[in-house]
Amino acid sequence: MEPLRIGIVGAGAIAQRNAKEAAASGAAKIAGVFDLNHKVARDMAKALSAPFFPSYEALLADSTIEAVLLSVPHYLHKPMTVEAASCGKHVLVEKPMANTLDEAREMIACCEKNRVQLTVNYSFRYLPKVQKARQLIQEGALGDITGIQIIAHQFKDRGYWSGARSNSPDDWRASKEKCGGGVLIMNVCHVIDYVSFITGLKGTRVYSEYATLGSPAEVEDIISVTARLSNGGIGSISASSIMRGADQAEERIWGTKGTIILDPEGLSLYSTRPIDGKRPGKLFRYAKFPNVSWTAEWVKGFTSAVRHGAKPAISSQEGWDNLAFISAAYQSMEKGVPVEVEPYPGPLQ
Amino acid sequence: MPDWLIKILLAIYTKIPPAMRPALKDLFTKGVLRLEALAKRRQIVMGKRVEFLDFEIAHLVPFELLGPGPDEILVEAECSLISHGTERAVLCGLPGARRGFPYVPGYSTAGRVIKKGKAVKGIEIGDLVTGRIKHASHETVRADQVFKVPPGVTPEEASFIELGIIVLQGIRKAAIKPGEHVAVVGQGLIGQLANRLARLLTPTSLIAVAPSRNREQLALLPGGVDRYLSLNEDPACVHAIKADVVIEAVGTPQANVTAMYCAREGGRVVLLGSSRGLTRDWDLWGDAQKKRLTIIGAHISDMPEKDASPLRWTYAQEGRLFLELLQAGRLKVSDLITWRAKPEECNAVYEVLAEGGRNHVGITFNWQPNGVGK
Repeated sequence: MEPLRIGIVGAGAIAQRNAKEAAASGAAKIAGVFDLNHKVARDMAKALSAPFFPSYEALLADSTIEAVLLSVPHYLHKPMTVEAASCGKHVLVEKPMANTLDEAREMIACCEKNRVQLTVNYSFRYLPKVQKARQLIQEGALGDITGIQIIAHQFKDRGYWSGARSNSPDDWRASKEKCGGGVLIMNVCHVIDYVSFITGLKGTRVYSEYATLGSPAEVEDIISVTARLSNGGIGSISASSIMRGADQAEERIWGTKGTIILDPEGLSLYSTRPIDGKRPGKLFRYAKFPNVSWTAEWVKGFTSAVRHGAKPAISSQEGWDNLAFISAAYQSMEKGVPVEVEPYPGPLQ
Repeated sequence: MPDWLIKILLAIYTKIPPAMRPALKDLFTKGVLRLEALAKRRQIVMGKRVEFLDFEIAHLVPFELLGPGPDEILVEAECSLISHGTERAVLCGLPGARRGFPYVPGYSTAGRVIKKGKAVKGIEIGDLVTGRIKHASHETVRADQVFKVPPGVTPEEASFIELGIIVLQGIRKAAIKPGEHVAVVGQGLIGQLANRLARLLTPTSLIAVAPSRNREQLALLPGGVDRYLSLNEDPACVHAIKADVVIEAVGTPQANVTAMYCAREGGRVVLLGSSRGLTRDWDLWGDAQKKRLTIIGAHISDMPEKDASPLRWTYAQEGRLFLELLQAGRLKVSDLITWRAKPEECNAVYEVLAEGGRNHVGITFNWQPNGVGK
């Protein structure tokens, strides 16, 4: 498979990581680098043996570049995707897909109109523990899923909000307009995506409470969400970026026949069924997983989809579903009522 | 084991971290078995058996057992039959059936004798026997507690032994006379066997009563009932039955009451199902006393060891009769089997059973890989 010639847009820490992993995947060739911070972009281009472009327009004008990988602040996802698609470039965009569903709708329509592919970086789906959990559930380990609980607590210091550790310091993460939200859209979006991937379930109705209680930011730093799932089950999310000294990251998925617990080190399985050669009725730990680059897998999958004219595994629909759930959670708190999650609009052209 | 030793061992056991207990318990059990084998000069045999590990969890588990003593035989299972009511009650922790886990279910199994003790007479290696044996590939049992299966009876048919005895002793206590009207409430395995054994006693009419029509086809097979009534379709149908004898083959309070509705004034109601559960919804005056009903308790636990009478045969007599009926072709049971499962499928089998059985009637485990059981 011929590598996809990708232009890297953004040279922050995540962009650097994405670019390295994409290059190492063998499915991509870094064909250019652009960032408003030219010095950082030049250094990055040099390290990747790729040309530096002084402007986004110049990068898009290069006919050898087939796709762009956008690792830029959230509010730039929509305009930069639309611009790239209009130039006939495929788009790999960081999560979340956009800040609002209106923006997402415009992105989808533009990509469809210009017949380019769009993918969102929900690459945690390729984590071996996530793949394993999905496999176990598909083998029937949990029976009918009845509940999902996501717990995600951490502490973000003042430097995070001012962008102090960034190579191009900027406080966009603290801005509701620029970032779209706080811990839910910034961090927990990954977990919402891979739990949906694991279970095959989506949230359909959402209730939420959120607040900003301990951060110098407009966006929420604590949130609680309750959701009705597409199969009738119930899900809940408890997340914050103000829990000091006791980070928590755990997802529990349970059903009529068992429970799966995911945590940063691996996963635990209890099933009443003899799944995966395990004795039923006992809690088993899966902690040894191969070292896989989830970003590389994401890029490989996208390259394959482009080369074969197929829909990417993580397409605009997955990006939409995630954003629609998060948007419903924010709206629920703002309106003080439960909110139905807006379904994927389907082809817009 | 003396009480003082049990107390010491228990005191030690409670100090052990819970996570380590299963492994230590296993080690202890194996150690004791080996000591016993040495002391009694008996072999240790490896087998597999169905175990209930916890509520609604069954699994096929390897286990060890002692080979036969002087008056014992070692039986290699061919076919074992699930007793829905009892096994489901234990599996789900239903009233009156709470047991500790792990629990080894099963009590109706046919198999070949592969070893025998020196004092065993009348049974030879290779003989097919049947009796109160668990769902296990191998079991050592006293030779005088199993039945030798007569020629012409298959292991699958013979595996119905315990259920056959349960129903036979109930039918006997019902004392059905030729020409009586009989109703059977409940159409699970016990109910279906009751249909067939009651039919042999030439009633004028034989009516099956069950909630749904799911088991109607099976009940109407040759040797079964004349009519099948669905309570879901017409809950009041029971009052028109006016049976001389009603066999209650479910064991729930609701079925007990339904059985009384089915009886005529002065009729007899035989409680054959193992009764579980409590109810406050029974009008004792209207349903039983005013109708002058005779209620007959007919549980298998009420069978004489010896000194049989016309209405109370011994366990051994009923067992022999059941096998003779099978041998003579007077009773058919194989067509009641709706699921012939491998022991390895036991988890799925009991999952279905826990959910209510999905209309299965007879479920067997065939322990021989080539399906010899049939």
